[in-house]
Amino acid sequence: MQKLKITVNLLTPIIFGGGYMTFDALLASILFDQLGDVEQAHSSVPIRVTDGLFHASAAILEPIDQSRTSFVANLRADHSIDPDLIFKNKKGAIYKAMGRTRRRDFGAVMNSYDMITTPTITWYVDGDPDLISSLIHDTTFIGKRRASGFGEVLSWDIEDGELDGLQGFSGEPLRPIPAERFDGDTSCLRVDAAWRPAYWHPMNRAICYAPEMLS
Amino acid sequence: MNTFEFFNENFGRYLVEQSGEPHKATSRALSSNHLLAKGTSCRLVSGWAIVKPGKTTIQLKLAAKGLQYDDRKWHEAILDALENWDNEPTLFMIFDKSPLSISNLFLTVDLRAVRICTPSNVQTFDYTKEPGNAAPEYHRVLTKMRNKRVR
Repeated sequence: MQKLKITVNLLTPIIFGGGYMTFDALLASILFDQLGDVEQAHSSVPIRVTDGLFHASAAILEPIDQSRTSFVANLRADHSIDPDLIFKNKKGAIYKAMGRTRRRDFGAVMNSYDMITTPTITWYVDGDPDLISSLIHDTTFIGKRRASGFGEVLSWDIEDGELDGLQGFSGEPLRPIPAERFDGDTSCLRVDAAWRPAYWHPMNRAICYAPEMLS
Repeated sequence: MNTFEFFNENFGRYLVEQSGEPHKATSRALSSNHLLAKGTSCRLVSGWAIVKPGKTTIQLKLAAKGLQYDDRKWHEAILDALENWDNEPTLFMIFDKSPLSISNLFLTVDLRAVRICTPSNVQTFDYTKEPGNAAPEYHRVLTKMRNKRVR
């Protein structure tokens, strides 16, 4: 394991969808695409881990611009939904009759996201440079809404770093760290946050010292 | 103590039986029907609740004992709690027709990251700063109310 500074140069704005985008989470998502197994993906991340806490920082960036972007998806009764897959009521019919001609009967779904424009994102990690390089080498998009063109990668840089991915030069947290395990600057922000994968699971949350949230 | 143990100890135990994993008991409390003071029952479909250690204040008049009931509007109650911040973990919840999901339940432990939990989203903001252009709705409303009080 080795202390590293990893930088991604971006071609398009990125959507985080909330959270800190720690580097272990990014690698775990790449591994999940390859392995198809959540547990195996988490246990294969080539980064130092201490009692469940990965030595990998949250994404560090300086936004040029932050704004909202929205997407609308229209469900098409005839070619998006198989009624056999929808939960039925007591009479054996689906709860809402689906119209096949009018748009209002399809059900339009709108999702809004915080979009961040930034040329680069940096992470500090304590990990295996060769394995990390092999994982990110072919990663051309990161973040959410990748298929819509967000988070396109121009290049990756891996260089020697000075930080272990947990604390910065002034003792500030570089990622969510449970309060009882943090020995840095205790005047920093405290939040209720997920500190270990799976980051979406509410039971993995605790009161943590953490960097400032972007959204 | 995580968010759900905090919720159950200070609020959920007055509403539902505490069995199984903490987050499942929390989910039951937020999505089940509860007896109201007037005799009928319903889910937590309107109003607000502020959960602090040993003290929960809620607008909806439930039959449950051990809770404090308060008629104020959400912004008055939350503004008072923020203005009298005591550094204790606090849950700020606003209810609506759809149940509040446990994934939208976050404790506030620092005024620099206040989290208002609603069924549709979690609004997070720094209460010590003025809201910017992209500030969440509740941050703008609470700051406007605070400025009004000062005048």
